[in-house]
Amino acid sequence: MSPLLMTLVLLVGLGIFARTMYRKILLLTALEPADRFNHIKDRLKNMVVIALGQKRLVGRKKERASGIMHALIFWGFCVLLIRSITLYGEGYVHGFQLPLLGESSILGYLYIALKDIMEGVVLLMVIWAFYRRMVVKPARLHNTWEAYLVLGMIGVLMISDLLYDGSRFMLITAHGNPVDLHFFNNSTFGQEFIWTPVTVLAGNVISGFSAVGLERVMVLMFWVHIITQLVFLNFLPLGKHFHVITSLPNVFFKSLGYPHEKIKLLDLEDESVWEDETLGVNHLHQLNWKQGLDLYTCTECGRCKEVCPTYVTDKPLNLHDFNDTLKAELYANADNLIHRAGLARTLTGDAEADAKTKEKMAVFKSEKALVGDVIALDTLWACTTCRACEQVCPVTIEQVPRIIAMRQGQTLMQGEYPQELNTAFKGLERNGNPWGIGYDKRADWAEGLDVKRMADDPNVDYLLWVGCAGSFDDRTQKVSKALVKILKAAKVDFAILGTEEKCTGDFARRTGNEMMYQAMATENIETLNNYKVKKIIAACPHCLNTLKHDYPQMGGHYEVIHHTDFINQLIADGKIRVKKSLGGALTYHDPCYLGRYNEIYDAPRNVLNNLSSQGLSELPRHGTESFCCGAGGGRMWMEETIGSRINVERSREIVQEKADTVAVGCPFCLTMIEDGMKELDKDEQIKTRDIAELVAEHLA
Amino acid sequence: MKILTTVKKVVDVELNIHVENGAIMEKGLQYVINAWDENAVEAAVQLKEAHKAETTLVSLGSGDNTDIIRKCYAMGIDNAIHIDDPALAKADSQIFARVLQRVYEAGDYDLVITGKQAQDTDAGQAGIMLGEFLGIPCVSNVIEIKVTDDTHIQVSRLGDAGTEIVDLTLPAVVTVSDSINEPRLPAMRGIMMAKKKKITVMDLAGLGTSFEEVGGTARKSEIVEFMAQEKRKGGRKFEGDPAEITAKVVQLLVNEAKVL
Repeated sequence: MSPLLMTLVLLVGLGIFARTMYRKILLLTALEPADRFNHIKDRLKNMVVIALGQKRLVGRKKERASGIMHALIFWGFCVLLIRSITLYGEGYVHGFQLPLLGESSILGYLYIALKDIMEGVVLLMVIWAFYRRMVVKPARLHNTWEAYLVLGMIGVLMISDLLYDGSRFMLITAHGNPVDLHFFNNSTFGQEFIWTPVTVLAGNVISGFSAVGLERVMVLMFWVHIITQLVFLNFLPLGKHFHVITSLPNVFFKSLGYPHEKIKLLDLEDESVWEDETLGVNHLHQLNWKQGLDLYTCTECGRCKEVCPTYVTDKPLNLHDFNDTLKAELYANADNLIHRAGLARTLTGDAEADAKTKEKMAVFKSEKALVGDVIALDTLWACTTCRACEQVCPVTIEQVPRIIAMRQGQTLMQGEYPQELNTAFKGLERNGNPWGIGYDKRADWAEGLDVKRMADDPNVDYLLWVGCAGSFDDRTQKVSKALVKILKAAKVDFAILGTEEKCTGDFARRTGNEMMYQAMATENIETLNNYKVKKIIAACPHCLNTLKHDYPQMGGHYEVIHHTDFINQLIADGKIRVKKSLGGALTYHDPCYLGRYNEIYDAPRNVLNNLSSQGLSELPRHGTESFCCGAGGGRMWMEETIGSRINVERSREIVQEKADTVAVGCPFCLTMIEDGMKELDKDEQIKTRDIAELVAEHLA
Repeated sequence: MKILTTVKKVVDVELNIHVENGAIMEKGLQYVINAWDENAVEAAVQLKEAHKAETTLVSLGSGDNTDIIRKCYAMGIDNAIHIDDPALAKADSQIFARVLQRVYEAGDYDLVITGKQAQDTDAGQAGIMLGEFLGIPCVSNVIEIKVTDDTHIQVSRLGDAGTEIVDLTLPAVVTVSDSINEPRLPAMRGIMMAKKKKITVMDLAGLGTSFEEVGGTARKSEIVEFMAQEKRKGGRKFEGDPAEITAKVVQLLVNEAKVL
């Protein structure tokens, strides 16, 4: 077309883009390190399945249609990337063709056909997207000018390219190719336009133009397309559409092995961390670069808030605002953060020499407190750590570890946390349980049940980890007893730790009290390792999660099995027999730490289907999209004073499903749902039962 | 203003206390800071925060009290003294009050704040005796302390008839009720930083006195024997028709419990 103009346009367009990206990457490098360059194969696989394959958009039953819409636009864009290179080439060389994709190869023809169809499809999807935003208006969507602008640009890109090709088509076929335009022509595969029906259609739309008119349209559309594309590219990093660029790397760098980044094991013995106040996240620069990339990538699609138990019950935690606010703060402080990081790299480790540098670094601290000014306290403490947001996020943003790190900053450094937690912390400190009941009463529930203690027989096959609720809470003690009944019926060789067991520290860790968590974990691991415990049956998903995923960080390595999983195995192995005698409608509430954290969905269902005469019926929100009971993340020990109550919201859903029995597999869920039923005055009609209780009642 | 506050390490009464042959069995016991003393420490720290005050803590006893003292440091206490003398294992309230008197005299304090009693013995005497021995005013069961000026405070105490408001000239002793405040749980950072703070440990000789001199040899009271508390028997639960249950309960109250 015009090498000079093309060079100019590309230099300006790509130059500004490169500069923007350099700044964005520089900002990420100013943040804390995160080790995300291992297991490349697994990472590539995630990228292919989740990002390229659009798994969480297409795979989610709810909103599958709009998921497919997004996927088609995305895939269309992927196809068009190659086309862009050809067009850049056309700027320099008349009739430019890419090797392998030229007219001599079937691939070239297949590509133009695919590109043609995809342009048509993307255009339709864009029209649908406009309609959806303007007429359907899904509640989770933020309707911003940016969204319309981007949709508009995508539309322009498709239309301009189709009209460019369409005018070529008309010039070639209707006007005898007056300007000697090149087009694919091959004796085997035929003429280019046989393969491009959408282009032909576009050509027909402008068939009324004269040859000169068509030529003008062609040149105009070519440059409109190129310039829109470069403007689009430069516009992306400025707003939420940055995800177009960052989603792939963000998914590539996502956590592996555990659903999100494990809570960092803090070195509390190091005096400097207390003096310099470096524990947790109290300042922007304490975020790691992956957390920064998460913020870049947030698409503000609002799926997170839609599934968030706190948002649904009118609490101030609105995850996409949370991300947006942090991102804005990150950008606003970009220069400071980059300067600060530059200085931090010059630290020598020598206290005297470093003192001056640290003084300079302090200047670059943000004026606003990260928690308090930027993120409100109520927002930070609302989270139940249920992971519904993370499970549903199409670009795998990890909200919970960031929230916990910020809580660590508050609890450890500032001493700012909901004061109701004090009672539970005190109980933990003195008696190893959040209720603060005397530790010596821990095994009272087992009196008369003839349950062995590890101290008496450390060679048993399994340790039964009872947990604080199972030990001290009247209601949950019944679950412990039922479980003992089942284990005895199956002749399982097991013992409990009795008064030697302490809280795993789960709630302390998730409320940011790493110190108390580590105190609990140290003592428990010492006890467990002394007895050379290998296999643990845990009756609480929170205990399970902590024993299984947190304790290895501190030298505790055990095979941990949830009781529902274990019971399921006992039934499968014929070690216990159950009757299908549970009448009435039965439903199941998935505990977050069992489902989303440990992916145990089937075992509890199998067990229940073995008991229920009419089979298990699912709640609307179940499985990976189960709705939290409201007690996770230490919320069990805090007041819920803002908005409506999460447990009541969940209980209402159960009531609406006309269940007679709701089964759970977690002591917190048991308490919360049962309380919710009482609140709705339905506790007489709808029984909340742990799976162990139901099994014990229906043993054959 | 210089404030002296006292803390005692006591047996955690949340636990079952096992008694054999009239003595408490050590096994399985754990020790905690006396809850009322925690209120006293909190009150002292609050006064320090609101006014210019220096707070000193004294703990008496035999053995290591580091853990509870560190906790008070973390709450915001400035100095700590631990009088560690094996002889104090046999002390009663009066002896403790005498020792506190010596501590008070060795410093230049304006106000002494103690818990109104200790969770283990529930005697509630040491603070009041201290006031008596020092010949300075003492108010017990205090629920509020207000500083009037450098030499006066006004306190509210829970009396039998209601709240009594008392003006006090310093120096004075107040013993506080648990409703005076909600003791803070020290910030983790405070706890870690408190590890570095020095605790002054001395025995009675170090304090310039002796067990005899504080009345140890002429003890006025002695614990002779401990007895285990009788376990409360579980109640009985009746289910069914309210009328039938009422009749049954009345029967039982007449025949079994013999209260009607």
